Amino acid sequence: MKVVAVIPAYSEGPRIEKTVMSVRTYVPEVVVVDDGSTDDTFERAKRAGARVVRHALNRGQGAGLRTGTEAALLLGAEIIVHVDADGQHDPSFIPSLIAPIEQGSADIVFGSRFLGEAPQGMPLVRRGLLSAARVFNALVMGIPRRVTDPQSGMRAMNRAAAKALEFRQDRMAHCSEILRLATRSTLRWVEVPIRVHYTEYSLAKGQKSFDALKIAWQLFLGIFAD
Amino acid sequence: MLIQLVFLVIFAAALSVVWRRATQNVISRREAFAWSALWIAAAGIILLPQTTTVVAHFFGIGRGADFILYGAVILLFVLVFKLFIALDSMERKLTEFVRRDALKDFDKN
Repeated sequence: MKVVAVIPAYSEGPRIEKTVMSVRTYVPEVVVVDDGSTDDTFERAKRAGARVVRHALNRGQGAGLRTGTEAALLLGAEIIVHVDADGQHDPSFIPSLIAPIEQGSADIVFGSRFLGEAPQGMPLVRRGLLSAARVFNALVMGIPRRVTDPQSGMRAMNRAAAKALEFRQDRMAHCSEILRLATRSTLRWVEVPIRVHYTEYSLAKGQKSFDALKIAWQLFLGIFAD
Repeated sequence: MLIQLVFLVIFAAALSVVWRRATQNVISRREAFAWSALWIAAAGIILLPQTTTVVAHFFGIGRGADFILYGAVILLFVLVFKLFIALDSMERKLTEFVRRDALKDFDKN
């Protein structure tokens, strides 16, 4: 099956090459979405052997993922893998992420940081916020409590799922949105363990505690969007 | 009181504009009557502020001025929220545009 990895990147020049190359060890074809970067992300991603799509303006991680997913579909991908650009997702888990799809037992597979593989360097505040996010997802979003990771950015899906999941949250709320769309559809979904390496860099660039409120607000506005 | 006078002058000006537009056939006579009713009612409230107390009491609010203030806050809230939604929908259209542009020549590279 043709597998394509999608990596949305915003000004990740110093890290994108390493991320692309480590992902290419497991998935030869990589699409990087340069989300209006102000540095040399575009050139470096290309140099690392990725196919690069460029957003003329910064539109956010969710928007980048959607563009990358559409690009992967254009390339004829049968399985699409979403990976973060900052190198926090351990690509050695990609084979176990796509295995349920290859075996035909799932349409979409979510990587979970809470299924055995201990996250490395996850701050306690982050852990607390993710527990709160799980409650929010269950009560407000109607996402089953069986989902152990409410904000996982590493996932794989087959072609049909990629076409069916019309996620429209441009910024950070896409994780919850994709979970909601997937778990409330007829798509077969499953969670598998993944490992995340938190570094000072990924924590500084990644989500802040205050972003939890922003995500809730974006999801609320999304209800009224046409 | 000065504030009453200022409001009355504004309402009178609004009323004259409404009827000028009606005679210019820009708005229909029915619209002109509806607008006139609004401005005359507003002038009535300015001249007899205690009338709002009756309405306020109906909603369980003590004073007419409070009723108008609460109403104004709610109205502003609704308008700001509508603005947020309009902005969100514009952002989505912008993303769609940026995406289409990004994927335009994708097959060729």
